[in-house]
Formats: sequence, structure tokens, C-alpha cells
Amino acid sequence: MNKEMQDLVVWAVKTAKSAGADECRVRMSSERFVNISYRERKPETIKEASSRGFGIEIFVNGRYSVQSTSDLRKDALKDFISNAITTTKLLAEDPFRTLPDPKYYKGRAKRDLGVLDPEYKKLTPEDRHKLVKAVEESCLAKGGKKVISVTASEYDSHDELLLMTSNGFEGHMESTFYQAGASMTVQDEGDRRPTGYNYIACTKKKDMPTPEEIGAEAAKRTLALLGGKKIKTEALPIIIENRNVPRLLGGFMSAMYGSNIQQKRSFLADKKGKKIASKHFTIIDNPFVKGSFGSRLFDNDGFATKKRTMIDAGVLKEFFVDWYYSRKLGWEPTTGRPSNLIIPPGKRSVKEIMKDLGRGILITGFIGGNSNSTTGDTSIGITGQLFDKGKPVHAVAEMNIADNHLKFWHKLVEVANDPWIYSSWRTPSLVFTDVVVSGL
Amino acid sequence: MKNITRRSFLKTATSAAAVSLVVPVLPEGWYALARADEPGYFENEFGITDGFCKKVLEEALSKGGDFADLYFEHTISNWVILEDGKVNRAYSDVALGVGIRTVKGEQVGFGFTQELSKKSMLNAASTAATIASAKAKKPAGKFKWLETKNYYPLKTLLTAVPIESKLPLVQSVNDKCFAKSPLIVKVNAQFHDQQKRILVVTSDGIKAEDLQPRNYLYASVVAEKDGRRERAGWNLGGRKDFSFYTNAVVEEIAKEAVDRAVILFDSVQPPAGEMPVVLGPGVTGILLHEAIGHGMEADFNRKKISTFATMLGKKVAEPFVTIIDDGTIPYLLGSINVDDEGTPGQKTVLVDKGILSSYMYDKISARHYKVKSTGNGRRQSYQHYVQPRMRNTYMLAGPATPEDVIKSAKNGIYVQDVSNGQVKIGEGDFAFYVSQGKMIEDGKLTAPIKDLNIMGNGPKMLKNITVLANDFEMSKGGGGACGKGGQAVPCGFGQPTCLVKSMTVGGVRRRE
Repeated sequence: MNKEMQDLVVWAVKTAKSAGADECRVRMSSERFVNISYRERKPETIKEASSRGFGIEIFVNGRYSVQSTSDLRKDALKDFISNAITTTKLLAEDPFRTLPDPKYYKGRAKRDLGVLDPEYKKLTPEDRHKLVKAVEESCLAKGGKKVISVTASEYDSHDELLLMTSNGFEGHMESTFYQAGASMTVQDEGDRRPTGYNYIACTKKKDMPTPEEIGAEAAKRTLALLGGKKIKTEALPIIIENRNVPRLLGGFMSAMYGSNIQQKRSFLADKKGKKIASKHFTIIDNPFVKGSFGSRLFDNDGFATKKRTMIDAGVLKEFFVDWYYSRKLGWEPTTGRPSNLIIPPGKRSVKEIMKDLGRGILITGFIGGNSNSTTGDTSIGITGQLFDKGKPVHAVAEMNIADNHLKFWHKLVEVANDPWIYSSWRTPSLVFTDVVVSGL
Repeated sequence: MKNITRRSFLKTATSAAAVSLVVPVLPEGWYALARADEPGYFENEFGITDGFCKKVLEEALSKGGDFADLYFEHTISNWVILEDGKVNRAYSDVALGVGIRTVKGEQVGFGFTQELSKKSMLNAASTAATIASAKAKKPAGKFKWLETKNYYPLKTLLTAVPIESKLPLVQSVNDKCFAKSPLIVKVNAQFHDQQKRILVVTSDGIKAEDLQPRNYLYASVVAEKDGRRERAGWNLGGRKDFSFYTNAVVEEIAKEAVDRAVILFDSVQPPAGEMPVVLGPGVTGILLHEAIGHGMEADFNRKKISTFATMLGKKVAEPFVTIIDDGTIPYLLGSINVDDEGTPGQKTVLVDKGILSSYMYDKISARHYKVKSTGNGRRQSYQHYVQPRMRNTYMLAGPATPEDVIKSAKNGIYVQDVSNGQVKIGEGDFAFYVSQGKMIEDGKLTAPIKDLNIMGNGPKMLKNITVLANDFEMSKGGGGACGKGGQAVPCGFGQPTCLVKSMTVGGVRRRE
């Protein structure tokens, strides 16, 4: 643990209390990162820095505010905290705004989440440049004559978080982050220049695919976009590729947050215990997945984390309810936000499933779109491949899918066996039938 | 996930339309009005002297490079928020730091630090310097203040406005929303103000300081009728003085938010497939932003990854189409007195009577094309390096009436408000999300529609603009931001009512 950061957090809690705060929660984070990109076989950007963030939540006279700053000079910080308390006192009272009951801090798991790479400090500038060059070379080689431009990059960081409350909570977390990938643009018919990419992220370097695999996959994904065109508007089976599921799932999940439920902005508010999707839809929130970005032993409130089944075979079991909204709703709190979201994988590969589906679209990218958490309406642009009995027909572009989440997830007919492990939302590819796909 | 390379327009709050008929211009002599403060802020507050900057720039050019610059930032942001009838939450943030950039050709070395100490800044400069590997180069010996105009003079600094003055404003929005309709069951309201001070010091001897205000008043409401709920929001703002927030502004925000929520109970399922699309005036200018704006940012073109890369000087639209990107419109969200690399704010014609006449350049791209920067070099903060970015992007009015435009569409949809957009630069394919609109049936506006995504292709869409109306408006919201390469910057847009002959509407109802 960074001693200087720890001392500052302890000092801030004391300073806030002595300046008149009834209670406070202090959060301090630090990041040291390097980010290198290459284009045309030379560095395009080299970026490196350290940053720190300081935030304090103040509870005074039943009132509440959140203040953050990057100006960590102690004199400046002391004035900052004192001014914050004065400002907070001017707000309206909020009887629901308190620090959590400390009983929720208890029972924190004692386990190694595997999110800190002990090898991180050994990483040299030469290692980083070598990695990016290899990604670029493999992308260029696989892309062949169609290539207009390739940008390859890496990003790595060491992150630390400290959280402390005036009612007895202390939490510390240290993690590492690696990302490598490439974006490639190729020449298509006329003025079309399809751009595709492949970015892979892990908490440990040893879990990353080879740079050659990363670059080649970026090229493969881009070449698959060539000849993209729209087809007539019709209802078709669709497969949403594993890595793209979170974009659509996010709209659904927003209705599971306590804030949206209490504020009457959730289409799921009255659906707890009810069937809201097909039997294939199960979601588990698991904060203990080894090496995953979402893993954590405590949440933003300081609650000890727990594994929870949120949706079980299509039945809505739980919501994400933090301390504040649990008090407003009069409910027992769970946790405010997902950690790692797991959709348990099925048995068959996407290839096998495609063979049985007849004509359909494999969605490999989304564009634009949005989702209305109040009503469940969603509409989003798609790119991907039209297939017929397992064989690719041509790429699709400028098309769209739309539905209401309360209907859409009933159309889920199969979950593939390919969870995307390079994200905290570990989603396999999902298969839906009878989805209106808009085009011509 | 970090570093996803997508460009999208991200709205943090609903945008708003305006009532002005022409782009407002500053009266002669207006620029002579005093600024809210005089240059020298960073020297007075943090001891940043010319000699100090020179030393840091020397370090940034210690391994060669074409030029280097320093970008100091001190930003104070405040939010006061109402929920469940009371202004019971406030957030504040202070950002302080300096970003140091070394440029060699089209290569960039970049470091930043939050500590404005000599040691930290020299360290960051030495990181930036690693992009080059030649003989050291000397920065200019002296720095001269850049003369800039002021497109957002303030009577009062936002930081000097006490919170006691902001609280009644937010409370009043809430009370007016509830008073307007018995169907309203929840109101969220907030006032946001930001005061961003920047100092740019370049190795070629320019220094420029700016104070960029940004603020908005926002309301979001949930209405309930027969067990069904709908939500809508509205905001007004930009780079305004606090005196902008009058009772009339509060009234307009409440009225728009409530009207827009209540009408949704009459909405019908949107249609699906290709059809004529009429874009109403103002905020729908997001179409320009996505469909062609991003594609005309010069970095995408010098790298040949934009679909517009070979179209400079060519016909891209009908002769009645003129599109401009403009940083000089008073008090608008995308206006800038100076860009983030020391080029004065200005106005750039992108499409001149149907001909693609200019990209939007930052310094690196301008050097590539051997032209002058158009003042589009912008960045989110001291933690980010410069990219070419839009300011206020708009299309000039045409001769038709809005009714004529709707009539000429015959059957299709009318777009009134949008809440998200994205573009694929290379393909030119774009999408934007319609939060509010109407059906056009037999040349007339009929039932409301909502929550549908529209897909199109930029170059095709430009050619498909067939009728423009005489009702030009700029967006007047203060809550939006444009995302590119992981950076968000505020920008504005506008246009008259216009007809696009054909786009793909992503509805759920197949046409018979």
C-alpha cells in the first residue's frame, strides 16, 4: 500500500471531522500508465504519466455533498474540505443520506482476486515497443493489399484505490491493466473504407494472447466488413457475438439499478420474482472471478461483496440497490453496481448453431442506438454477416434492430459456449429468433 | 474498458433548440469589452513565469522535434442537484495540471503532471521528448500574448456566484414542472457550472490564456398515465453569464420537459425500413455532426481513413448546401476564443455551395496539408493531447417553408429531438437516436413516435438533402459533449428543417 496516500486519507478524515463534518467517506486513487501507438512502422504517440484523484463525501446536519480535486497541496486541500463543509450546510436536508450501517462492512472475503500482476514492474519501454510493433506487423501481413492504414497500440497501468469512512471502514485495492490491439482501415468499393479493430485487455500480461494473434484478428475482423450492404427489412434470427453483447445488455441492466427504480425510471421495477426472459437468460454477479476487472472485495459503499444470482432462468431475482436508495425504497441493500456479470455459457459453438439456424445475421458490431430505461424500448444500428445454413453470404451495414427489452429477451433461444473473458461482463454469444432487422 | 476507438456523440442531458433565425454575430466594438479577468492568472496563482516555461520547453525539445507546447489547466466544476423535491445534493470538482507535448512530423510525445512544480514538469517534459531522437532544439527566447477576441464575456465569474443563488433556480424548475401537469410523478433538476482556465505556451513563442465558462440548467421528468410511464428532459445553457438564467428560461425548460413527456403517451410504434426523413430545426444538426462532421476532421483524412479523404474540392452536395464549423458564435457551447494549441477561434466553411472546401485542421494536420490551422485543435483536459475537433457545426437555411419540406416528404418520419449518435469514419455510416418525432402521413405531421435509431451513410445522405427550409436554428443546450478517441469536448450544432430523401429507420413495425 502507498504509505503517502494512506497518510493523506487518514489526515483528510480527521480534518473533515475537526472542521465540522458529522461523517465522511474519503476515496483516493492513483494510476501510473504508459500508452504507445504505432502507425506506418513508427511511434505515432507515446504517452506516460501518473495521476491521483481525491474525493470526499461529506455528511453534515443531515446534508450531503461530494467533492473531488487533483490539487493535493495540503494547504489547498484543507481549505477545500472546509469550504465543502460550509457549502454542504446550505443544501436541503436529506434524511436518507447517511453512511452505511457498519454491519454491512463485515464478512469481507479473504482471498486473492488475482488482479495485480507481480511482473508489472519488470515491463520495460523496449518490451512495450516490441509488443506494439509485433501487433502492427501481424495486422499488416494479414490485411494484405487492401490495407490503407493500421494503428496498433498498447496501454498498461498500475492502479491503486483507498477508501475510508469515519465510521470504521477501510479498504485498499491494487491492480494492473494491460491492453493491446489494432485498428485497421481497408479499401472497399468506391469511397467506402471499412475500419475494424481488435482490442484485448487483461489484468495480467501472461493472460494476453500473443501480439501476432491480436494483430491478425484485427485484420480478420476488418476484412470481414468488406462489401457491407443492407438487405430488405424482415424478421430474422440473429446471433450477437460475445464481445458485443454488453452494449445491448447495458440498456437492460440500467433498469436493475435502485436509483432508476426509486425514481420511477425502470421498466423492471415491479418485475421482481417474475419471468422477464426466456429460460436461457441467467445472470450472475460474481465479484470473485480470478483476474477479472470487475473483481472486488468491497463495493463503493464499503459493503463486503457477495456472489448473487440476479436473473435465474428468465426469472428476475435481485436488483442492484446501494445503501442510499435502499433507504429510500425501504428495501434491503444488495450492491450499487455490477462487479463481474456472468451469463453461464451453453454447450454449442457459434458455428454449430449457425448451421441449424438457416438464414440469419451474425452481429459483430453496434453503432449509435440507445435504450429507454423507463419503457424498455431500444433501437440500435448493427454491422455483421448475413449467413445461410452456416455459410457466410455477405457483410451487412447500415442496418438496425429494435424491440422492447420486455419482449426481446423472451426471444433468446440459445447461449453459445464462448464467454468473452477479456471484460468484466463475461458474456457468451447469444442467439435470438424473430427479430425485426431494418434495412431497405 | 479503456481506449475504445469509437467516435460518438454522447449526450449527458437532453439538448435544446433555439429561437434565433440567423447565426448571431457580435456587434462592432463588442470585442473591446473587458474580460472577466486579465491575462496572467497562472503566473499570479501558481507562479508560472515565462522563464519557467522556457526551461520546460527546452527539456521537451531536448531530443529534437518540430515544436512543443505546454497546456496549463485549472477547472472548477459545480453541480447542484434536486431529487424528490429538494435540492439535497451538490458535487464539485477541481482539476489542476499541465500537459506537455513534443511533436515531430506527425508523431507526438506526451506527458502530464498534476503538480506544477519544476521537478514534476521537467519529468513530464522529458517523457514527451522521447518521441524524437535528434539534436536538441531551442524554443523561442520570448513569449508574446496572442491577441484573441472574446466570444463569451462574463459580467460575473461563475465561481463568484454563491450557491444560495443557484438553489432557488433548481427548486423553481421542479415546482414549475409539477405545476404544469398532474401526470408528472418525478422531477430531477440540476444546475451545472464550470469555469475552465487555460494557458497555452508554445515553443514558437506564443502564449494564450482563456477563461471558458460552461453551464446549463436541466430538468428531467417522469410522467405516469394509466399505469404507463414516459420520460423526457430539456436543458438550456452554453457558455453563458449567470444572468442568462431568468424566470423565462426556467419556464421554458419546465414547459419543454413536461410537454415532451406527456405527448409520448400518444406515441405509436415507429416504422422500419428505408423512407424519407425530415429533420426539424436546431438540435437535429447532430446529423451533420455525425454524418459528415467527424469525417471532415483532418486527422482522419491525412491518415486516409475517412470516406471524405479524396473528396476535397469535389461536389459532395447540391449547390444550395453550405456547411460551416464556427467557434465564434457568442455564448454557444462549442465557441472558443482560442483553441487548445494557441490558434485563435475562427469560422471555417466546410462545404461551400455543395463543394467540399476545407477539412478541420489542428497544427499537425495543417503542416501535413501545408495550410494554416483552422483553430480546431482541441482536447478534453491537460491529461489529453490535441486532436482536430468540431466547434459549432451548422448548415445554412434554404428558401422553403418548413411546411413545404414536410409536404414534399409525403410519407416518412419527422425528427424533433435526438439523444445519441455515432459514425464509422471509413465507411461513412452513421446512426442517431430519435428520442422524439412524428409520423409524416400524406404530407402532414401525425402521431408522435420515439425511441428509434436512424442509420445512414454520410456522403450518400449529403447528396440526398433535397429541400432546405428558412427556419435555421442553433442548438441551445449546454449539456452535451462529443466523444472521440476517449476524449469528450463540448460542441454545438444547428440547421434548418431539411428533407433527406431516404434513410433507414430502425423501428419494430414492418410497413405493409
